[in-house]
Amino acid sequence: MALFETRGLTKRFLGVTAVDGVDLAVEAGELVSLIGPNGSGKTTLFNCVTGYLAPDGGRVLFRGQDVTGAAPHRIARLGVGRTFQLVSVFPRLSALENLLTFLQQHQEERFFGRLLRAPGVRRLEAAAVERARSLLDSVGLGARERAPAGTLSYGQRKLLAFAAALMPDPELLLLDEPAAAVNPTMIEQMKAQIRALHRAGKTVLLVEHNMDVVMDISQRVVVLDHGQKIAEGPPEAVRRDPKVIEAYFGR
Amino acid sequence: MIDLLEQLVHGLTLGSLYAMVAAGLALMFGVVRLINFAHGEFYMLGGYAFWYAYAVLGWPYPVAGLAAVAAMGLFGLAYERAVIRTILSRTWHVQLIATLATSITLTNLAILLFGTQPKEVPTRLSAAILDVGGVRLAWQRIVVLVVAVALFAGLEWFVGHTKLGKAMRAMSQNREACAVVGIDVQHVALAAFGLSAGLAAAAAAVVSPLFNIFPDVGALLTLKAFAAVIVGGFGFVKGAIAAAFLIGLAESLAAGYVSYAYKDAIAFVVMVAVLLVRPQGLFGRRIGI
Amino acid sequence: MRGVRWVAGGAALIAVPWLVAAVLPGQQRYILHVLVFTALFGALALSYDLVVGHVGSLSLAHPAFFGVGAYGAALLATEARWPFAAALAAGLVLAGLAALVVGVPMFRLTEHSFAMGTLGLALVTQIVATNWVDFTRGPLCVTGIPKPQVGDFRITTLPGFYWMGLATLGLVALLYHGLTTFRLGRAFHAVRDNETLASSAAIDPLRYRMLAFTIAGALAGGVGALYASYVGVLCPGELSVSLSVNLLVMLFLGGVGSLRGVVVGAAAFTALPEVLRMAPTWRMVIYGLLLLVIVIRVPDGLEGVLQRRTGRRRGPAPGA
Repeated sequence: MALFETRGLTKRFLGVTAVDGVDLAVEAGELVSLIGPNGSGKTTLFNCVTGYLAPDGGRVLFRGQDVTGAAPHRIARLGVGRTFQLVSVFPRLSALENLLTFLQQHQEERFFGRLLRAPGVRRLEAAAVERARSLLDSVGLGARERAPAGTLSYGQRKLLAFAAALMPDPELLLLDEPAAAVNPTMIEQMKAQIRALHRAGKTVLLVEHNMDVVMDISQRVVVLDHGQKIAEGPPEAVRRDPKVIEAYFGR
Repeated sequence: MIDLLEQLVHGLTLGSLYAMVAAGLALMFGVVRLINFAHGEFYMLGGYAFWYAYAVLGWPYPVAGLAAVAAMGLFGLAYERAVIRTILSRTWHVQLIATLATSITLTNLAILLFGTQPKEVPTRLSAAILDVGGVRLAWQRIVVLVVAVALFAGLEWFVGHTKLGKAMRAMSQNREACAVVGIDVQHVALAAFGLSAGLAAAAAAVVSPLFNIFPDVGALLTLKAFAAVIVGGFGFVKGAIAAAFLIGLAESLAAGYVSYAYKDAIAFVVMVAVLLVRPQGLFGRRIGI
Repeated sequence: MRGVRWVAGGAALIAVPWLVAAVLPGQQRYILHVLVFTALFGALALSYDLVVGHVGSLSLAHPAFFGVGAYGAALLATEARWPFAAALAAGLVLAGLAALVVGVPMFRLTEHSFAMGTLGLALVTQIVATNWVDFTRGPLCVTGIPKPQVGDFRITTLPGFYWMGLATLGLVALLYHGLTTFRLGRAFHAVRDNETLASSAAIDPLRYRMLAFTIAGALAGGVGALYASYVGVLCPGELSVSLSVNLLVMLFLGGVGSLRGVVVGAAAFTALPEVLRMAPTWRMVIYGLLLLVIVIRVPDGLEGVLQRRTGRRRGPAPGA
């Protein structure tokens, strides 16, 4: 059974079908890229499977469980992490607090435990701080843990958002254009991070425009055009697929 | 039957009033994406301007009305310059609180200047009764409806046929693109405030002979007009006008047949009901003026 | 060191009635009266700031919850002869329930619509309080509201009310602190700053908004009940929209989202006009202008100015 699956997923906006009956399956431990020309429905698909948009048709399954139309926070709680195309952080929280925010809901939901800072919650918090520090170190932001996220540079915020998504140790990580609008050094750093995740056995689905990144790190590539899946396979095979070439260069 | 018809006539008067205020509110929202909480106070000040010109200075009715419109038009321009321009680039929190603060300031200034005692401005037309098959109504109510319809027709023509009006329509559809194609965004915003304040004053000039003018008339009026803007689909002027008439009629019927004391709650009940059933408003989310 | 400062500060606050009696014997009643108001409005402003400052929803419904608690407790105490503690608890619970019930539909609205919807709610509450004469006595006001009494312990003197106000403010401040820091505070702030991102962090935005809104409503009701008991008379005018405006001035004057800022704002707001002894109308004109200038020029209030002075500022101001 695939870890994550969409069956006939469809989303329409004002008569335009942005995602058109897409079947997609990602096995546990896979690193899959979703590519396609602008407006081919990649981000819409991301938003449908993470609960930000309600699909008009089809189903979304996570570990065989139907999560179609569930609220974003419920899907997140099941172990699906994501980042956003436009870099998204909590600007007034510190870098460290940004990361802590991402783990706490997975740990202890009891209101009074939190209000009164019960010893159990304090222990969880201490462990979370430790994990957050090591993740900040791993993306090179260890020295900036107390800085409000809004004061970090664009690239740093991108790394922070990436680290935050890793905080709850998600089983499936959806990355929306991790290499967009960052400098070449940062791209290499991002690639290394994603590869490390893959080696650690995580499942990653990424939307990416940078073909070098896609061809370099993906095990499998899925191509969308006009909301439909037009090709799927290993990077080399997809690169030579006439339908893909047509979609990218034919118009 | 007669009773029902009279309630409907009252409802049309109320609807005209709410529509003139709501149209300005929707126009401002369309052009600068800001809700002016002080809009009801434009009506209130317009009413006092009219009262001053008509009852104190003794000017003829049409002249006094036009003077009030002109005065408030200028006031709207000044308000845009002094307050709105400084908050346009800020968050909606700041915008809302700043316009709310203006509303409080103006209301209490009016109390200082004119006292809390309502001003009555009867005219010959508000005393003259027209009898149509047993339905008795003041001629002034006809004036209200005719002026309101004429103003909406004029507004429609203005937005469709003049350069400034077309710029307003364009801005309500896409503000960023307007700056790119060389529309003077600031200039259009200024004009929209002048126009909206003028509309509110026109409403005051025709409605004041029927309803009294008092300093805190604006708060409820802003709420009702805003309810119309929401019900009509945010920033869609024609929708707001239609919704305002709907609210006016509902309020009048409720006052007649349900409870007079609670008539002011009707607009709010209608607004919440619509928002819960159709959050995009009755006429859909068509941004445009 | 910090502990010592807290104890000393607390002792000084408790000793205020004696200090005032010693330093300004003729003015004691007046000063204590202003301080009772300061404490009660400080508590009310803190409860309001939970919604405005920490989950970022500009509710204007606070007078409604204040009114539900005040009227609920006052009517139960006068008509049904409930004991003070029971009436106070009922005021708290009724206002909290009211917030819970109206919060669900209200939070379907966003930004301006939410503000307008809640404003409408406040207006309707006031209309009901004015017109439901059989129940609320309308403009005739509820009179003869009994003073606080638990068993044989009664609060009748001004110093007694001062300590009651101080205790209320202290309790609300403790709760405020607990809610707005640590894990709960982080979740509130995440919802306030970026709702989309918060839900990707498994935070349910509606749940946290409702939590803040309901607790704030209940606290406002509790303060309303105490206020009615202190003043002894409750009129529909107390529920007017100008209460929201006053609370907004306190918040923005002192500093939205900051415990110290809000308390300082409430104190400055309550004490200033009493000192200046202005006519109420002039007061509202000045508040309006003050609010306008503050929100445009110094949206982070006195607290922001203080922090800039001491160089301890964190992040941009809420309204900036």
